[in-house]
Amino acid sequence: MGKETNTILELEDLVKYYGRGENLVKAVDHTSLKIERGKFTAIVGRSGSGKSTLLHLIGGLDRPDKGRVLIEGKDIFSLKSDSLAQFRRKKIGFIFQDYNLIPSLNVWENIVLPLGLDNRKVNRQEVEQIVEKIGLTDKKSAMPNALSGGQKQRTAIARALVTKPAIILADEPTGNLDSQTELEVISLLKSCVQDFGQTLMMITHDETIAQMADRVIIVEDGRAIT
Amino acid sequence: MKTTTVIAFNNMKYYKSKNILTGIAIVLTTFLLFVIPAAGNGILEAQFVTINKIYPTWHALFRNVDKATATEMAAHHDIAEYGLRSDAGIMGLEDASVSMISLDEKGAELYRMELLEGNLPRQENEIVVSKGILMALGQQGTIGDTIKVPYQIFRDGQLDYTQEREFRISGFLEDSEASLAQQTFVAVVSESFIESEMPKGRITYRFLFQVKDEGSSTTDDIEYAIHEIARQFGISENEININQDYLYANYVDPAYVPAIAGVMLVTVMAGILTIYSIYYMSMNQRIQEFGRLKAIGATKRQMRQIVLREGFCVAVAAIPAGLLLGTLTSKIVLMKFVDLAAVEDGYSDILREVIRTGEVPLYHWWIYLLAIAVTLGTVYLSLIKLMNMAAGVSEVEAMRFHDAGIKRSQCKGYESLTIGRLAGRNLTGNKKKSAITIISMALTGVLLMVVATVISCANPKDSADNSIVGQYEISPVIENNNREHPERKWTNIQQDNPMNEGLKKQVEELAGVIRVDSFTTVYVTGEPFEEGVHNAINGIPEEYAKEIEDGIVEGKITYEELKAGDKIIVDQTLLHWYPDLEIGQRLNLTVYDGTRTYEKEFVIAAIGDYRHGLINYHYLITAKEAADRLCENNSTEYFHVIADKDYDPELDGAIRELVEGSGRLELNSWKAEYDKWKTSLAVLGGASYAFLGILGAISVMNLVNTMINSVHLRKKELGMMQAIGMSDRQLMKMLQIEGLFYTLGTLAATIGLGSLAGYPLFLYAKKAGMFEISNYHYPWAAAVTVSAVLLLIQAGLTLGIAKSVKKDPLIERIRFNE
Repeated sequence: MGKETNTILELEDLVKYYGRGENLVKAVDHTSLKIERGKFTAIVGRSGSGKSTLLHLIGGLDRPDKGRVLIEGKDIFSLKSDSLAQFRRKKIGFIFQDYNLIPSLNVWENIVLPLGLDNRKVNRQEVEQIVEKIGLTDKKSAMPNALSGGQKQRTAIARALVTKPAIILADEPTGNLDSQTELEVISLLKSCVQDFGQTLMMITHDETIAQMADRVIIVEDGRAIT
Repeated sequence: MKTTTVIAFNNMKYYKSKNILTGIAIVLTTFLLFVIPAAGNGILEAQFVTINKIYPTWHALFRNVDKATATEMAAHHDIAEYGLRSDAGIMGLEDASVSMISLDEKGAELYRMELLEGNLPRQENEIVVSKGILMALGQQGTIGDTIKVPYQIFRDGQLDYTQEREFRISGFLEDSEASLAQQTFVAVVSESFIESEMPKGRITYRFLFQVKDEGSSTTDDIEYAIHEIARQFGISENEININQDYLYANYVDPAYVPAIAGVMLVTVMAGILTIYSIYYMSMNQRIQEFGRLKAIGATKRQMRQIVLREGFCVAVAAIPAGLLLGTLTSKIVLMKFVDLAAVEDGYSDILREVIRTGEVPLYHWWIYLLAIAVTLGTVYLSLIKLMNMAAGVSEVEAMRFHDAGIKRSQCKGYESLTIGRLAGRNLTGNKKKSAITIISMALTGVLLMVVATVISCANPKDSADNSIVGQYEISPVIENNNREHPERKWTNIQQDNPMNEGLKKQVEELAGVIRVDSFTTVYVTGEPFEEGVHNAINGIPEEYAKEIEDGIVEGKITYEELKAGDKIIVDQTLLHWYPDLEIGQRLNLTVYDGTRTYEKEFVIAAIGDYRHGLINYHYLITAKEAADRLCENNSTEYFHVIADKDYDPELDGAIRELVEGSGRLELNSWKAEYDKWKTSLAVLGGASYAFLGILGAISVMNLVNTMINSVHLRKKELGMMQAIGMSDRQLMKMLQIEGLFYTLGTLAATIGLGSLAGYPLFLYAKKAGMFEISNYHYPWAAAVTVSAVLLLIQAGLTLGIAKSVKKDPLIERIRFNE
């Protein structure tokens, strides 16, 4: 029973193809996986191997051609568009390579945005805690255009953490950062996830980062090899 | 093809949605720029053709000219053609009005009088009649037949007693539909007949003539020449009658070209604003692109060319569509307006026929050329600033440039976010764009509201209220110069006035009548009024005391004080003719009361401004009580009937019966005045709203562009928000709030500024006497319609845009790079 309850994410025979005939790309090809709660999973693989597609399917950003994605036992694609959005904002946090901050909002607002979308009250103390942890206390009123890459990514991490989602999906979060900042960001991310007991799945090309993970999944031609 | 043209052409295809909107704006602009001169010119030409078919061709006539002066004037070097007319009198018929005139051959030609058969009369006993006249006489006849004609000769300024004599028919005139409908005809008699009826020296003529045309004469030139001739021969201004309709139909009215040009200019302005702001919105997005072009060696001139040619490429595609639309609809537009003005008379019928049959060509090459040139000019003017922007781009800055639209580095922001705050942050982050959209849309809106204010104030109900007090106006038939009907002379009416208490009581007893107000008229003559001209003192009942006092614009007097009888108020209309009248001036006037006359002094106590209906076109005003005291006889001229409904067919019938039964009374009604105004204002309102509607459509392209642009540029951002949990419903709500901001901003400016600007225009229109405007009416209908249309467009737009956003899978949107 213990093993069963520890599974937070389950992929069942997931398929996603693009194109047709000669141009057919098997981005995700009959992939099945189980991910345990609270673990840090690194997804590695060559460019074009289907890592990002896999992550997007897990996050419900894209729909599979076949198969199911179960998060805490719930088939996310059985949900209608608006319910899926609600599910996503409660259960999943995203971190992207190019940060994707909202340019018209300052750092604080970018962080609390998911709470606002979920009509939740902002617990100032809790958010301050996160902001402090990511080291942006003096940048709360800064607009994204005034931040460095590292600061932007920290903001994006804080935004992903703020709703306390069960799973954090990070798509090469350090891809645009220098190596010093990269390590700082990953350490920060890992420590946050540990503190809040969250599950982290991260795409990375970096061997060092992969080695910091509890589990590494290699993706090749759309298939996950664990 | 030149590289710049190739780039411009490719840009046009790449920025398809923007250029489609620009294209629509250009199509509509071209359409208006074509339809305005085409319809404006068409309706004028059609009127000209119609007028030329109906109206006499003399430029002016001088009345009361004796034979000797006429002969002298004929030799004047400015006179090209002339003819003589003399008015003999009328046929003494009850149900028809037949004037008897004599015309020489040139006069007949200038009157466009063509005989169906026969000749103009030469012998004393010859006459030209029409079938209608014979019917009115109850006789039959053909050429050479003799008919018996009762007639009254116009002698010494009045109609003499009826006589009868036999005439031989020398020719026939055709009856027009209008003359048959109104039973108004003209019969032609010979000059010898007039000479037989009047001593030779006392015959006066109307001298009809055309002024020599130098080729490019305007109506002003011709009118100047007419007045010059009159001055040289000592003809007074009152004796001049200028054939305005004919002159306008055949010579250019100097006010016409600026009027058309003014309306076109407004269109051009709307076009410039819209096209400029559509391109401006995409400009920031394209700075990088221009920087790259510059970096690889494009010159400033080439950059300008690229922007200009892109605009012209769109124009080249859009202009023909606008012209086609204009060509297809101008005739329908014109017909619609003529129908709107549908008065069933000969003139309107011919006008309609002239347009329908294409007798007046609407489509002149110069109108096409004008529309093309002005549209291209509009596009060019819209692009000047953007061309300079593109030319001024610095390579390095442009390459680094990333347009987030946000220039600030710090912002206090909100502690927590809602959808409304999210939308607000986006809008305030792009203040300049939001302002440009709102201002350019609001300008058209303000114009619409200003025009709507005038149209709303020019309301037929008001105009009718101004023209008549109450719902019916009963008055006696007055003819001061008809010997056959001495009972119609005012001083005789006073002695046996059908406007008596009995009649008043009869009317008051009719169902639906609330009360009957009787107005007294006292005719007076004397200095400073022109000799022989009767002015009237209007005795207004006490019910209107407040209106009398409120209407005073200069000086002071109460209704109570007016009752004393020695003071009067002068309506300011009279100042047009007698500008020297002033407060405190004493007027020694002769009062006409039945058979007696007497002198009395009146002091002008105040100058007022009153509706014509209240003062019955009599410009000296006093209290009824005072006016009544001036006459021993019954001097009641008007009964104004106040009814419970503006129009009640039963009451209308009953009053009509009463009036017609008496045979001595006349009736005017509120409904008749209302219908008259409604027709003429409908044409004005229809034309104005149609024009403003299309102008509005041009501006709406701006809103469409802003909304699409704001979503297109933020495709990735919106995708991102959805990735972190924004539902479709929340997205829709956010876009709706943003759209509402533009709409409400535009509406606030439109309604607010439009209402503010409309009021001074109303005051001006009131002062200038445009359309009998007197009361301010807020243009609610226009305000509500503009609001509803804008809100609907915006709601539809948001729905469409949100749908198109959702069409792309979320992941595509997140990956999207501009």
